[in-house]
Amino acid sequence: MAGLSEFELLGRVTIGQYLPTGSRVHHLDPRVKLVMVVLMITAVVVSHSLVGLALLLAAVVSGLLSARIPLRFALAGLRPMLPFLLLLALLQVVAIPQYGAGATVIWRWSILTVTDRSVLAGVLLIARFTVMVLGISLFSFSTTTTELTHGVEHLLRPLQALGVPAHEFALVVNIAIRFLPILAEEAERLMKAQASRGADFGRGQRNFITRTRRLLPLLVPLFLVSLQRAEELIEAMEARSYLGGKGRTHLIHLQARLSDYVALASVAGVAALVIRLSLTNADGMVWRWLTEHLL
Amino acid sequence: MTPPVTPLIRVRALGHTYLRGTPLEVRSLHDVDVDVCAGDVVGIVGPTGSGKSTLLQHLNGLLRPQDGEVWVNGVPLSDPAVDMRAIRQRVGLLFQSPEDQLFERYAGDDVAFGPRNLGLPAEQVRDRVRKALDDVGLPFAYKDRLIAELSEGQRRRLALAGVLAMEPQVLVLDEPTAGLDPQGRRGLLAVLSDWCAGDGRAIVLASHNMEDVTAVCTHVHVLVEGTVVLRGSPREVFCNADLLARYGLAIPAATEAMHVLRGRGYPVSTTVLFAAEAAREIEGLFGGRVI
Repeated sequence: MAGLSEFELLGRVTIGQYLPTGSRVHHLDPRVKLVMVVLMITAVVVSHSLVGLALLLAAVVSGLLSARIPLRFALAGLRPMLPFLLLLALLQVVAIPQYGAGATVIWRWSILTVTDRSVLAGVLLIARFTVMVLGISLFSFSTTTTELTHGVEHLLRPLQALGVPAHEFALVVNIAIRFLPILAEEAERLMKAQASRGADFGRGQRNFITRTRRLLPLLVPLFLVSLQRAEELIEAMEARSYLGGKGRTHLIHLQARLSDYVALASVAGVAALVIRLSLTNADGMVWRWLTEHLL
Repeated sequence: MTPPVTPLIRVRALGHTYLRGTPLEVRSLHDVDVDVCAGDVVGIVGPTGSGKSTLLQHLNGLLRPQDGEVWVNGVPLSDPAVDMRAIRQRVGLLFQSPEDQLFERYAGDDVAFGPRNLGLPAEQVRDRVRKALDDVGLPFAYKDRLIAELSEGQRRRLALAGVLAMEPQVLVLDEPTAGLDPQGRRGLLAVLSDWCAGDGRAIVLASHNMEDVTAVCTHVHVLVEGTVVLRGSPREVFCNADLLARYGLAIPAATEAMHVLRGRGYPVSTTVLFAAEAAREIEGLFGGRVI
């Protein structure tokens, strides 16, 4: 934590920020990028294969590189989640009896059992989270919220026939993302203001109720300020005759180009390959090859 | 010749960069020196984004010095072993629109928040609330009022009382009069001047309002893009009308009027700060003749 103030909330959260480097990735059609993210997440969730996840990781890292985003910066987004991740992985490894039949027991102590399968499950969990966080970071680093809103709205438009309010949904997403850093800033300011009056936000306190009570001087004003901001936003929108999505035209017209199709096709290819790999026993084959040739 | 005084706060070569080490880093302060001695009212003026708030947050240890050093009563704040709560009790900080930080239902409870955090017994907390409310010109009976029912100006005074109840030596304020009506503004400035008249106290305030600065400040530092470009008494600083204009800063209306007259060839002094002084200069032009 060297150099970081105890109150800095934004410095640690890099995920959700936009990094204007003007790369090819930044210029891709936001609809295409959204579809690519969905494909990637599907592949990550479906895949049980370490080889497949390594492939996805490689794809995301090459995306980060071509977006000219420093890897260290992207990895910084993972850091705050790391403790939770390790805890989850640990639970996965020791506390959940993994797939009884066919698993080799490595270690056993009273009710805790570690098998080769459970170790694999723990490693898979960490790998999945890493790929997902990096992938979503890549999307947010290279896409402005306006682009995101337009992308969401366009993609949801076919569902309008089914009564899905595409425009309103996109607006809600946009406002939520837009206000996240503002709320973080507000929280930081309030924390500092209360700390100036000797407040201590629950460090060294084990009792859950005492800790929550100590957060009240932060939470109460934060809620009040948010409601106030929401009201101001409504007024500002109505003052400019906002009436919802009906009959609204767009300033930006999205147009997919060749580069968009190429990017989409390659990501779809990787996702398909990864899903295919998890159906066959790719990990087993790689493992066998490694043990035969290297050991 | 007065003996040299040890400053309550000493800032030397202070530098700060936000999000340091990331592609989004922004240099906010660079090589800033400030001294705050007992009895001083130090004004920090500068355009928006000049680093005023960042500087203020260093004075009570909300931000630790990255470069340079800040001493409060001789204690260096870059030392990780410093008891920050003691520092924050000595140096009270009030943010911009401080009425946002009120969170209790009743006014008195909110003022008591600080003293209770200090672990004081109920009797002393009560005394401090009484004194703090008195300092900001609110009757003690206001402790039982609902905060939601107070006016904007009263809420700001209440927030100030919340900091004064910590009994700090130095009061640091960010835009204390922003958004107040003229009466509320004058009232708050009077509260600040009265408070600072107490023994061994000092005030640091950041402001856009040059009238505020001339009304209460003994020293002025002009901060532009994170560095102090001009410092001195209000009279010394506001002489440099051209320089201040180049940085996008205003000067007090009375001073500006004298600069305009001077520019048109009238022999008036441009070192005036207040309307009464300006009136005297203009009277001088007429040789004291009354129509």
